[in-house]
Amino acid sequence: MYLPDFEYYAPDSIAEACQLLSQFGAKAKVLAGGTDMVVKMKNELLAPEVVVSVKNLEQLKKIEYVAGKGVCVGALCTHNDLVKSDVLKERYPSVANAARQMANNQVRNRGTVGGNISNAVPSADLPPIFIALNATAKLVGTKGERTVAMEDLFTGPGKTVMAQDELIAEVFIPDQKMTGSNYIKFGLRKSGALAVVGVAVAVQVENGVIKDARVALGAVAATPVRAKKTEEFLKGKNATDDVLAEAGVIASGECKPISDIRASAEYRTDLVRIFTKRALRKAVDEGHV
Amino acid sequence: MKQDYSYVGKSVDRNDSYGKTTGHAQYTADLKFPGMLYGKLIRSTIAHGRIKSIDTSEAEKLNGVKAIITAKDVPSMKWGLSPARFDENIFCIDKVRYHGDKIGAVCAVDEETVYKALKLIKVEYEELPAVFTWQDAAKEGAPQIFEEYPGNLNTEIHHHFGDVDAALKDAYYVRTDKFQGQRTYHAFIENHASAAYWDGDRAFLYSSCQSVHYVQYHLCRVLGMKMGNLTVRQTNVGAGFGGKLDPTGLDFAAVILSKITGQPVKMWYDHAETFLNGRGRHPMTMELTTGVDKNGKILAHKFDCVLEGGAYTGLGIASSYYAGSLLGVLYLIDNYKFDCRRYVTNLPPCGAQRGHGQPQPRFAFEHHIDLVGEAIGVDPIDMRLINARKGNSITTAGYEVKSYNLVGANKMARDASGWTEKRGKMGVGRGIGVGNGGFVTGAGFCQYRTDYPHSVGMVKIFDDGTRAYVYSNAVDIGQGSDTVLMQMAAEAMGYPYERCQMVTGDTDLSTLDFGAYASRQTLMAGWAVKRAGAEVKKKVLAKACEMLKASGRIKEGFGYLDGPLTPEDLDCVEGIVFVKQEPAVKLTFEEVARKYFVDHGVLLGRGWYHPGKLGGNHKGAAVGTSPAYSSATQVAEVQVDMETGQIECVDTWDVHDSGTIINPKLFHGQVHGAFYMGVGETIWEEVKFDKKTGKLLNGNFAEYRLPTALDMPPVESLTLDDSYEPNGPYGLKEVGEGATTPTMGAVANAIYDAMGVSMTELPITYEKVWRALRDKKASGK
Repeated sequence: MYLPDFEYYAPDSIAEACQLLSQFGAKAKVLAGGTDMVVKMKNELLAPEVVVSVKNLEQLKKIEYVAGKGVCVGALCTHNDLVKSDVLKERYPSVANAARQMANNQVRNRGTVGGNISNAVPSADLPPIFIALNATAKLVGTKGERTVAMEDLFTGPGKTVMAQDELIAEVFIPDQKMTGSNYIKFGLRKSGALAVVGVAVAVQVENGVIKDARVALGAVAATPVRAKKTEEFLKGKNATDDVLAEAGVIASGECKPISDIRASAEYRTDLVRIFTKRALRKAVDEGHV
Repeated sequence: MKQDYSYVGKSVDRNDSYGKTTGHAQYTADLKFPGMLYGKLIRSTIAHGRIKSIDTSEAEKLNGVKAIITAKDVPSMKWGLSPARFDENIFCIDKVRYHGDKIGAVCAVDEETVYKALKLIKVEYEELPAVFTWQDAAKEGAPQIFEEYPGNLNTEIHHHFGDVDAALKDAYYVRTDKFQGQRTYHAFIENHASAAYWDGDRAFLYSSCQSVHYVQYHLCRVLGMKMGNLTVRQTNVGAGFGGKLDPTGLDFAAVILSKITGQPVKMWYDHAETFLNGRGRHPMTMELTTGVDKNGKILAHKFDCVLEGGAYTGLGIASSYYAGSLLGVLYLIDNYKFDCRRYVTNLPPCGAQRGHGQPQPRFAFEHHIDLVGEAIGVDPIDMRLINARKGNSITTAGYEVKSYNLVGANKMARDASGWTEKRGKMGVGRGIGVGNGGFVTGAGFCQYRTDYPHSVGMVKIFDDGTRAYVYSNAVDIGQGSDTVLMQMAAEAMGYPYERCQMVTGDTDLSTLDFGAYASRQTLMAGWAVKRAGAEVKKKVLAKACEMLKASGRIKEGFGYLDGPLTPEDLDCVEGIVFVKQEPAVKLTFEEVARKYFVDHGVLLGRGWYHPGKLGGNHKGAAVGTSPAYSSATQVAEVQVDMETGQIECVDTWDVHDSGTIINPKLFHGQVHGAFYMGVGETIWEEVKFDKKTGKLLNGNFAEYRLPTALDMPPVESLTLDDSYEPNGPYGLKEVGEGATTPTMGAVANAIYDAMGVSMTELPITYEKVWRALRDKKASGK
């Protein structure tokens, strides 16, 4: 196993990075943590002629709360940055918790938020919780920047709406009325396993009544998907076990999983039912967003 | 029987801990020699076919490529590990037999060039239909993988003791169950690597293997070399678990490429290639029938077993015999019928993996016997107590068993685990289960036919007595054999362990040992170095006696001595030689050894071990007969998520009847590691292949899922205080493999207790549990 030949750039600014991506077009790939990309290159599944490392873009490594607006997560934050972030622990522990469930400690030390999202693997752990929390991604390209809702970012396995010259700069989680959120990842062992199913939920509960809900499912379709029928069903209902169980049944009808080396489609479908119910229960009971 | 020892029974530090924990330890792939070339194997990209042509011309033109070899460049003699079935060539001659089979080798000036060259080599095949299951291999008209195995039947075994049919007819209860095992992989961290160079007509090979002797023997046999002309050496070995016993294509190719190029050549496997090298656990299809009386006493047992063997035999014949040969050691079964077939298929060859052929049959039997007990209302541990063998007995097959305390192991595990309060009483989703196991402590025979001793040891004391070199080619593959061998040698000499050093991993410099397999080294190499140490001590005491007498210190005030001072009046402990009745009169080992060196030259002790004639006369008795047998009981407690099928193993207890424990820390390490492997094979691990092409699908640690530290339960590792084996040095028996044999049964039985559905197919994955629970619900039971 050895890396193929490639040209290597490590720009010092976002503008310069976008310029390089624009210049080399499809020949170029962005390198952040490399936890997926380098392995693929060694396994001959990927052979970019140009590698643009974004490791020098220090401004993308911050997690901050913008007063009155929301939490801004820089795209170059590692998963362990999320795990250890006081801002997230205080405001969105569910995001820190989703990051903690990823891969293993070594990967969490290197892998980045931007990489996890732009790689667009259906089983990625961060997109579902970001979608449930109505997060957006700020994309920067040679023609300027734009903001895309996380749920609109993915178009297929490995595919996003991002243009060739665009980078993810940050993820923004807006202040919201949701009272609880949760992500449950189900893998085939406790660490170092891809999600067979990932369920993220956010709920707004007042006096035991669900005012609003967002449910996002990972690893059970070509992209992370929102379970909109489930959300509609939940609105206005009392958060009883029966209601949450029914929500699980509805969610299991909203996914389109495949069978692969890890799990069959029917198993994944039933796991969506189980974990939607459990994630909702936890979000309702534990109360913090 | 037990004595106070200086080093035996003490958790002394391992001799390799500094190097391995700091990263200084060198492994074969770390080696560098001036002018060294880098080499890799050319592998088949189809599962079964005739090689029509191999075009290496483009690769040869690549700058930096030094040599490319295929079957035409190497001897065509077949090799293997079972003398009756040598069926493997260095490189495929006419046919490839699995996706990944060895076609040739390339070496070049650097790694990158080797990989580039591999891509330029074009092999043309005439593709043949392939079979990937024994069921397909056994079909009428199935493609023939080897001419010598008609119907793809590689071996069959029929062991019939007593009268099974008559006993079953008389039984109070008879039950038949079917089980299916899976193909697993050793998952050692260090992949195979070899490095070779020549000096005149002598070759030197570094190999990451479990036996320098067998690698030397097999290479010399095939390459037509005198064994004195090939030195096999080792650096550290990053584990083996049975997967490094067979010589690899790398060993052969490195020696040959180095000869052709006149330069040192280092070769290595990438991780997926280590999977392709195979030699892991055979998937077994098993049918068990047992007849018992109303108390649960086994009257007769019938075991039908089919092994899917992969493309070559390797150690597969021994695996087949081991599938059935040890049941009669564990349990008293007068009427026993073992029928076994092994088929070849177009997948990587299977072979030996920790516990060899035994763990899957252990899983099947241990679960089956619980089902039998349940049907007649007998508690699982009572079933085992009723049927357990006791020490100083002879098995139905004629094996002689000295120490054996399976009864004690079961009782201790029962009490430690809180079995009586827990079994069947923990509610839905929580369960506890028991499994028994054990293993040989060394095989009774060499793998090829020879009258050599199985282990030879030597101790050389350095000139001034300040170091003891302990010689043995026993292979420390991480289990800590160097440490325990030095402990035993130091004990025997009465010399400080801290001043001992191993001379090992070198067929020139060190002394013969057959290597790390069949849990043999602690006993066999242990005897050899213990005897070598004892010879040193004898010489030291004689010299010390002479020195004391010459010193004149003995004359005054030692009137209690009955006659003149003799060596028998002296002892030596921890480097001090003293008069037993007057310990104040002493000399240091060092000064005595130095005097010996001045008077006679080098101070040497020699020892050797041969198990002699062991029990069993039937065909195949060689696999299973052993100087000593361990026994073990494990209890596992699990939590099953009754919705998702997720299994968590929450607690475990292991009692290993292992004789004297030489190093408790290493012993417990073996138990933990063995349980880890066993629980991994029970729940998570399986090597997968594409059903149409036979291509490996999960040759990496992301998709070949070993349990992680977070999945591993605490293990309470217990020992039986009175365990002592007369056939073992210092009374010891094995632990390394035996401790992995009860695990699958214990965990499977706990899962059954938790969920109420019998899981008979390994691995017991979350999805299989989910499906079983769903089906149970659907059937309304």
